Formats: sequence, structure tokens, C-alpha cells
Amino acid sequence: MQRYCDGEAGAFRELYALVAPRLLGYLLKMTRERALAEDLLQQTFLKVHRARAAYVRGADPVPWIYSIAHRTFIDETRRHRRAVVRVGEAEELPEVPAGLTGESDDRRDEVRGDPELVTAALDALAELPAQQREAVVLTKLDGKTVAEAAEIAGTTVGAMKVRAHRGYEALRKLLGRAQPRPAKPAGDAGAQGGGA
Amino acid sequence: MSALDDLSRIPPPRPPALSAALEAELAHLTPVATRRPLRQLALLIAISLVYGAGLIVMLTLRRDLHELPMGWLVWTGLAWLLGFVVPITLATVPRAGAVMPRWRLAGIASVVAALAMIGLGLVLHPAGEHSAVLGWDGVVHGYGCLASGLETAIVPVVIGTIFLRRTLPVGSRWVAAGLGAGGGSLGGLVLHLHCPVADGLHVGLVHGGVIAIAALLAAALVPRATDLR
Repeated sequence: MQRYCDGEAGAFRELYALVAPRLLGYLLKMTRERALAEDLLQQTFLKVHRARAAYVRGADPVPWIYSIAHRTFIDETRRHRRAVVRVGEAEELPEVPAGLTGESDDRRDEVRGDPELVTAALDALAELPAQQREAVVLTKLDGKTVAEAAEIAGTTVGAMKVRAHRGYEALRKLLGRAQPRPAKPAGDAGAQGGGA
Repeated sequence: MSALDDLSRIPPPRPPALSAALEAELAHLTPVATRRPLRQLALLIAISLVYGAGLIVMLTLRRDLHELPMGWLVWTGLAWLLGFVVPITLATVPRAGAVMPRWRLAGIASVVAALAMIGLGLVLHPAGEHSAVLGWDGVVHGYGCLASGLETAIVPVVIGTIFLRRTLPVGSRWVAAGLGAGGGSLGGLVLHLHCPVADGLHVGLVHGGVIAIAALLAAALVPRATDLR
């Protein structure tokens, strides 16, 4: 970062290569849209570039860059909420190319682990409120400490703990609901039914 | 949760190439002077203190100054000074190894400074022969003191805002509150040496209230300039 602030363009590319993959992973988990996540990533680095004079020499720039990404995501979410979507009179919706799983092309390449579990986790994650989702992504998936996550999200450590805990509990419920339940023995059916 | 474990084991995705806008910016990359928080803090404190001293000279020292207990004058003056330095420091200087100032602590410090100085004014307010005791009127007609205090607060808040312009992606409201509370405390220090009103309601609610009002005003207005958008 220091070499970059001294005017070395190559140092910026090194910084980008070092930080961008992790940051893109974070943004991808927050947005679940590859194109949007990439756009936010570029916006984040553009902001880093324009605000580089705010950097303090010798400091770790990563939490600051994460904070900028967080802010960019929040601004984008607000803009998205305000945006008015107009559907034509014939209610024509644009066609989105989809893969075999039914996922759009944007979303397909984010699944690389055990596909079923990962997709279930991503779907459950997407159902969480943005603040809880971010808390889970930062503390459980990106390996940040609660203090680091709070610093990035601009909140207190206590609030971040609560968000992460609630998010984790909600996720546990969602994933529990999504997993197929084991078949019950035939004898139990009458005892639980209550008979209609 | 094994699903989350699986998700956390996914290798980071490959980022896209730099955008055209970024490439264009990099093509004209020039060295920049990075922020030096301690130097900025020293400058901010020095200019603000000189400005505060100038205001005291303009407004004149309180007429009952020589009649008041020296210990109270000095210790309360130091408390106002502490209320100026601590929130301003937290609002501008990051902890070692960080880029962002300690905005959370700055916010806490602004609340503590306001409550402490209001409480101190309500409890400790010695009077001399030439002091004025106005009772509730001193609060209701305390515009002059409020205005002088806020005028004093403007300088540290504006300088701090200039130093932190477009640098804060998060916590800008708390940083602003810290700057405002610091400025308000400096205003309180000026009033401590200028205003001869010596009843608790005036000293506590008007002089101490300057901190709270300056912090709230700064929190409302300053983030427009300091937010990194």
C-alpha cells in the first residue's frame, strides 16, 4: 500500500491480487450475484484508489478496504431498494440464461464445494437479513474476529455478537428445515397424528 | 454446521481484471501525501487553543476570577481541556496499525464528556463577590454563552472535518460527535474563563450543554463531508 501511495502502479496490482479474491468472496456471499459482486469489487477498489491519501503509513489496509466494500454494498442495497422496477403492459420479463440446476449463469460458478450442502447453505444465507448475513459471513466464513467484523461493519462488538448469534441460529433452523428428515417408524404415526 | 464448514472451505473466487476506469486512473498514478494523524492532531489542537485564547482576550476574563478558589479554577479548567483533547484524539488518531480513527471510543468519549461536564457544573460552582447568580433566568437567557461556546467549537470541528474529508467508510457520525464534543469542551473552557455567572443551572446546563449541542450538530452535519462514498 505504501509503494502504491508512492506512485507505483505495480504495487496496486499486487494489492488487488492479494485482497480482491477474499473481498470478492465476501461480496459474492452478500449479493449472490456474480456480476453485481464484481461490480461492487471494482467500485470498492476505485474508492480505495481515490481515497488513498487517507491511508496511514504502516497500517494494515485490509480492514479499511473491507469497510469500504461493506459501505459500497450497503449503498448499493439502498439504491436497489429505492429503484422503481417498471414492467411493461404485457408484463414481459427479461429472460435470464440458466444452467442445468436452474441457477442463472451468474450464480452457477460460485458453487465449488459439496454442491448440495453449499447450495443449501448459500440459499439459507440469502434468506437472512443483510446485517445477520454479513455477521455470519465475516465471523464464520471469512474467519474474522468479532472485533474485526464490528470494525468493518461500523458497529459495536456487542451488536456484532448478537447479529452473528441470531444469524447462526436462524441459519441452523433454515438448514435443519431444508435437510430431509429420516423416515419415522410406522408405529409412531398413530401416536402423533391426533386423527382427522 | 457442516454446510457452513463446506462453504467456508470454498477457495476464494478468481477476481475479474481491473476495470477500464481503474486502468485509466492507474495510467496517471501520482504519489500522494498520506494522512499523518499525529501531526494533524497537533496542528488541530494548536490552532484551536490559539483561537480559544484569542476569543478569551476579545471577550475579556471573568470579573470574579481573583475571588474564586484557585484549585477549582485549575482543576475544572483541566477537566474542560481533557474534554477537548480526548474526544478529538480518538476522532482523528487511529490505534497503531489501523487506518480508521477510533470512532466508537470517540462516540463514547463525547457522551461521557457531555454528561461529566454537565454534572460537574451542576454540582461544583463556587461564587465570588462579583459573580452573578441568575437562577433559572441564567438558563433561559443563556444564548450568549451558548453562542460563544459554539463559535469556539466551530474551529476544531472544521479543521477536523478538513483532515478527515472523504476518509471514513463507517463510523463517520461517531467521529463527528467526537469532534463536536471536543470543540464544545473548548467552548466550555473559554466560558469557564469568561462568564461570571456562578449558579449550577447555568454552569451545568448552558456551559456543559455546549458539548452536547456541538456534538449533536456535528453528528448531523459533518458526515456529509467525511463519508467515503
